Amino acid sequence: MVGIMNPVSREKLASLSNSVKFAIDLGPKLELCRQLKRDLLEEDAAALSEFLSHIFDLYSDPSGPVRKLATEIIGEIGVKHLEFVPEIAPFLITVLEDATPAVARQSISCSIDLFRHTLEKIAIQGLHSSELDSDLESSWSWMLKLKEKIYSIAFQPGSGGVKLVALKFVEAVILLYTPNPNGSSEPPPNEGTPIEFNISWLRGRHPFLNVGDLSIEASQRLVLLLDQLRFPTVKSLTTSMIVVLINSLSAIAKKRPAYYGRILPVLLSLDPPSFVIKGVHVYGANNALKNALLSCLQCSHPSAAPWRDRLLGALKEMEAGGLAEIALNQVHKVNGSVEDEKDHSSVIKEEKPMTKACDAAGNNVGRKRSGTEDSCDLAETSDVSGKRVRSTPSVSEESTKELNRNTSMSQGDISSAQSTTRKVDVDTGPVQQLVAMFGALVAQGEKAVGSLGILISSISADLLAEVVIANMRNLPPTHSHTDADDELLEDMCIIGSNTQAKYPSSFLVDVVSLSSTFPPIAALLNSQQSVPNEIVIQKTEVDEEVDVMAGLNSTVAYAGMAHEAENALLPGMEKIDVPTPSDIPDVSNLESGIPGLDSSFHNDGLSDAQAASSLVSTDLEDASQEQGTSFGGKSPLHVLPSISIERSEELSPKAAVNDSSGVVSSTATSVVSSHSFVLPKMSAPVVNLSDDQKDDVQKLAYIRIIEAYKQIAVAGGSQVRSSLLAYLGVELPSELDLQKLLREHILSDYINHEGHELTLRVLYRLFGEAEEESDFFSCTTAASAYETFLLAVAETLRDTFPPSDKSLSKLLGEAPCLPKSVLNLLECLCSPGISEKAEDSQSGDRVTQGLSTVWSLILLRPPIRDVCLKIALQSAVHHLEEVRMKAIRLVANKLYPLPSISQQIEDFAREMLLSAVNIDAAEITDAEGLIIESHKDSELERPSHEHQSMSSTGKDISAVSHQSETYQSGSSPSVPEAQRCMSLYFALCTKKHSLFGQIFIVYSSASKAVKQAIHRHIPILVRTMGLSSDLLEIISDPPSGSENLLMQVLQTLTEGTVPSAELIFTIKKLFDSKLKDVEILVPVLPFLPGDEVLLLFPYLVNLPLDKFQAALTRLLQGSSQSGPVLSPAEVLIAIHGIDPERDGIPLKKVTDACNACFEQRHIFTQQILAKVLNQLVEQIPLPLLFMRTVLQAIGAFPGLVGFIMEILSRLVSKQIWKYPKLWVGFLKCALLTKPQSFSVLLQLPPPQLENALNRTAALKAPLVAHASQENIRTSLPRSVLAVLGLSPESQSSSQVQTSQAHTGDTNNSEKDAVAEISKESSGAS
Amino acid sequence: MEAHSLLKKQGFDVSSYGTGTHVKLPGPSLREPNVYEFGTPYKHMFDDLRRKDPDLYKRNGILPMLKRNLSVKLAPQRWQDNAADGYFDIVFTFEEKVFDMVLEDLHNRDQVLLKSVLVINLEVKDNHEEAAVGARLALDLCEQIEAVESWEDSVDDILISFENKHRRKLLYSISFY
Repeated sequence: MVGIMNPVSREKLASLSNSVKFAIDLGPKLELCRQLKRDLLEEDAAALSEFLSHIFDLYSDPSGPVRKLATEIIGEIGVKHLEFVPEIAPFLITVLEDATPAVARQSISCSIDLFRHTLEKIAIQGLHSSELDSDLESSWSWMLKLKEKIYSIAFQPGSGGVKLVALKFVEAVILLYTPNPNGSSEPPPNEGTPIEFNISWLRGRHPFLNVGDLSIEASQRLVLLLDQLRFPTVKSLTTSMIVVLINSLSAIAKKRPAYYGRILPVLLSLDPPSFVIKGVHVYGANNALKNALLSCLQCSHPSAAPWRDRLLGALKEMEAGGLAEIALNQVHKVNGSVEDEKDHSSVIKEEKPMTKACDAAGNNVGRKRSGTEDSCDLAETSDVSGKRVRSTPSVSEESTKELNRNTSMSQGDISSAQSTTRKVDVDTGPVQQLVAMFGALVAQGEKAVGSLGILISSISADLLAEVVIANMRNLPPTHSHTDADDELLEDMCIIGSNTQAKYPSSFLVDVVSLSSTFPPIAALLNSQQSVPNEIVIQKTEVDEEVDVMAGLNSTVAYAGMAHEAENALLPGMEKIDVPTPSDIPDVSNLESGIPGLDSSFHNDGLSDAQAASSLVSTDLEDASQEQGTSFGGKSPLHVLPSISIERSEELSPKAAVNDSSGVVSSTATSVVSSHSFVLPKMSAPVVNLSDDQKDDVQKLAYIRIIEAYKQIAVAGGSQVRSSLLAYLGVELPSELDLQKLLREHILSDYINHEGHELTLRVLYRLFGEAEEESDFFSCTTAASAYETFLLAVAETLRDTFPPSDKSLSKLLGEAPCLPKSVLNLLECLCSPGISEKAEDSQSGDRVTQGLSTVWSLILLRPPIRDVCLKIALQSAVHHLEEVRMKAIRLVANKLYPLPSISQQIEDFAREMLLSAVNIDAAEITDAEGLIIESHKDSELERPSHEHQSMSSTGKDISAVSHQSETYQSGSSPSVPEAQRCMSLYFALCTKKHSLFGQIFIVYSSASKAVKQAIHRHIPILVRTMGLSSDLLEIISDPPSGSENLLMQVLQTLTEGTVPSAELIFTIKKLFDSKLKDVEILVPVLPFLPGDEVLLLFPYLVNLPLDKFQAALTRLLQGSSQSGPVLSPAEVLIAIHGIDPERDGIPLKKVTDACNACFEQRHIFTQQILAKVLNQLVEQIPLPLLFMRTVLQAIGAFPGLVGFIMEILSRLVSKQIWKYPKLWVGFLKCALLTKPQSFSVLLQLPPPQLENALNRTAALKAPLVAHASQENIRTSLPRSVLAVLGLSPESQSSSQVQTSQAHTGDTNNSEKDAVAEISKESSGAS
Repeated sequence: MEAHSLLKKQGFDVSSYGTGTHVKLPGPSLREPNVYEFGTPYKHMFDDLRRKDPDLYKRNGILPMLKRNLSVKLAPQRWQDNAADGYFDIVFTFEEKVFDMVLEDLHNRDQVLLKSVLVINLEVKDNHEEAAVGARLALDLCEQIEAVESWEDSVDDILISFENKHRRKLLYSISFY
């Protein structure tokens, strides 16, 4: 199959590539390209070689995405078939120039892959054979060209997306060209294994690639990269460039710790604010730098150690407050409180011997720190010991195994070990004994090492730790480094115990031997690198050299260590200007070639050791390599010891911290503070508790504390104490329970336990936690806890304290914030029946309490003013009148005057008012429904006042549902409902009279019930308001339809007081101009002058009877000051003065008016009637109703008969018969008043008498009988007798009749004369 | 998730991830969170919490939030565990801590593609209202970045103008796949 292309697929590919070429739309084209890519990658080399040109053609496509994809395809082909590199590399070089940045970027991405693979292939081929095939060689030369090209892009001035990727390319090459200390230094046994390429595979035995040269190149490139970040180049970069550079460099530093010393100074000297100049994005760069430094800080490589202080300093400077803390915490975690080392340098100095000793024993301590350092120090030590195994080449396999076992055991036992430590420590006796024992053994020198080992292995690790700690007290407070010499051995034996145990005698010897192998190496190196190295040595302090020499008498290792110790300490402690770390990179710059060289050299030098320790080969090798690489720039003499001392620096504070933390117990609180020289004894046994038990213990402790508080409350200082208590309650785990306990404590005696203050403290703590923008999770939880706490306290305060108590109000006023549930509580308090049972008889007081709380909240807490106001307003339209009234009082009297919320209140009240009115816009309401409603409501009201306890709840609910029903059905609300809605508005009217106008407007369209409700309110309202200009204005122009309301207002206004002149004037004006209804004048009638009233009288009479009666009463009563406006007589006369035709008033109205008068007999008395009649009878013409009135008068007062007869006779004299209507009345009256009227009748002239008798036949017989009486008959003229038929005979009678008639005539004439006289007299009088 | 929901609606190819070790939702107290593994369907959490204490979780907005999430995706995913999801053009974070974690993760991956990715932190307070605002801002930013041919060349300008416009501080970094 190989080399023979399947014709089908070839055809397919050809057609595919063609269709790609000719496809027009971008979308399908790209799809085709991808298809092509899939197919192509399945093809073998031969087929592809044929086809490659086609794909190159694709690149001529005008659209960027296609070119990019073509590049990608080619790149992938290249990676898969490296033999094409000579063709592909030139192509990629051309693509680099592409106008579209994305395409150029793609080219670089492909290049890095291609480069890596080519390098790898060459390297591996070179390892296996001394000759390379020419193809590969040319590939490689092309790749180098490509690389140079990309370099030129990366380092050209300016910015851009292409440059970003080019920089990554540089990073990749640097990484490829330098050995990876963490990677395998052995090439994979068979080629296929996917293992990361490591240049150290080559080991200088490659025919083609020179590791040293590569290293030099990498170094040079790194310098170029670093130069970019140096001032002033950095100013011309964009943020993205800076970010990428920083990230790349930190990545290099992390992956190739050898470069640490060169990269870090540059990073540290970067000052983000200084590159603001171009307005670039500082935060981004700053953050990248911070992260880079942090990651460098976390780097465990020994060469990183000297930089920690400066890194920390830089980080601290960079970040303010919390962030710095976090960073420091991380750092703490990572390297065991380097900070402490800084801050407590004296302490560290004192501990130095110990750590030194440890290191001397451990010497070549494993350079790799355990990944996460948060385990305890025991883990640390065991870890270290584990590393030691690996790093000690001459250890026998057996001991290694043993050690490994030990290691794993002690690692597994960390937790238990820690706890047992304290058990042991209960009495320090054994410890002291052990110390003594150790001392004795150590005194024997090296020969006792074996027994020391046995001793150490026989006691537990924790006990051992205790011994160490105990012994530390014996250390002198100050130590010079040289002094340390003397104690070194002793300390080493005691402290480096673990190690000792595991490597009895052989260990130290090994150490010595190992380190002693180094001088030759150093010498060798020195000879090779002769001059520069020597310079370095000289540079790095002559004093130290002296030190080294002094130390050499014990061991070389120690000497170097001491030297390094000083070296490392100097920059940190006293800024003696010796080899500050920043100088070191410069030195190494001078000798940029060293790392690679060094490592290869090392490999040679240590090959035996490596071989011996094949078990742990990788780590060891790394270690040695690193030693080589990282310290290549310095004196080789330092190589080994320096590692260990740096290690020791790391360890010393760490160890100390862990020791002290062990003392302080697991809470891991103030590690720093416990960092004293004299370590406190541990006295409590430590028991491992389960979580539940811990919770219990904590809870019990807390209860104790709380109980104690009850006692000490007297002692004062409660400020601080309650703070503490609150803090504890919130801070401790299982806090829910504790909070409950705390709550119980608070509530058990709120006043005496300063419950308010304590509660507030708790709340503020919780609140702070909730607001602390940490993660969503803890925020929400704290908020929830806050809510629970506040709510519980508030509820208890409500339930246990009398309503008059102000605690609740105070609490809510001062709590940091009020969550919804608390507001709900308040709402329930203010509006009972909303969700809770309206409880007891206290509920009224509770409402007051709630409302006053709301009031104070509105005043004190502007942010929740609206919510509180809403609560108050809801309460102000509560269905229970009692509640409502209270709330209204609050709102109207206290809240409404506040200018900031008055508008809101007003709007709400208006809305409610309108809601009551608008619902019934459809006037037609079924009467039945209304009745039922009002019935129900009347029922409703009663229980709410009378027996609230049981029924009100149910009723309330029904009322609510009822309301909603009515709303839904659109029928009008009931009166109480209307009142509920409107009361608030009315109350506001009393505060702001202009609001009253709205009621007038609303009134006309309101339903009956609403009107009724309004009417109920008006009297109180208007009386409260009094007459103001606003009200006058409203009165002067009432909207149509509001007459009834106006009436009531006027009535109220005039009731009991004298209306002002303005009011009367306004009303009169209104009557004259707009409103012709005299009714409005009724209220002021008593205050009008009599003559005006008389003018108005016809209008009054025209009113409906009841209103007339009312007006009548007012007139007759008059005002208290001026007395009655009209006397009853005047009234009657005025009534009689009305002419129905002239005044356009129905006669019926007038008669009704008369009747009304007669009904009031106590006013219209007999005398008054007589007087009236007397006057009326004199009127000419006689009033129309005169006779009617006379008749009524007789009916009402029979005693008036005599007087009436007089009137009648006067009427006779006035020829009453000439008024036909009155004549009828006259006769009626005569009939009624017989027999008294007979004498009057007989005074009638005979024709009128006859007429009268004819009209009222009933009169005739009695009259005749009356006249037949002798004494009367004789006095009667004959004519009259004739009319009566009383003449003796018919003849005579006829004669008599005529004569009588005659005489009658004369009589008549006489009478006429009389009448005339009387007329004259009356006229005269 | 709010941003995920919004960007998805606007037609962006978008995924969302957490960076913690577990999905932690507030519980009855700070020490009793509801902890779920990543990959637990939102539906499951929703049912679980509703069963536990519907009132509480309704009140603190967790149930509604889960309901919203239900409609966006099946289950929460963890950023660090989903490197296989392929590369993104932009990564948005809404908290600096997360920003740092994402960057750390990206730096720890093998950078083989050399495909640049823009990581932007837009600090958003973790509550429902702010999330809505933040989502809109993220969308705005996405659209602006989408509008230019190559953000690598103009990212500074875009972000600075965005900051000026919205008075928000952004933090960004560039990493590579």
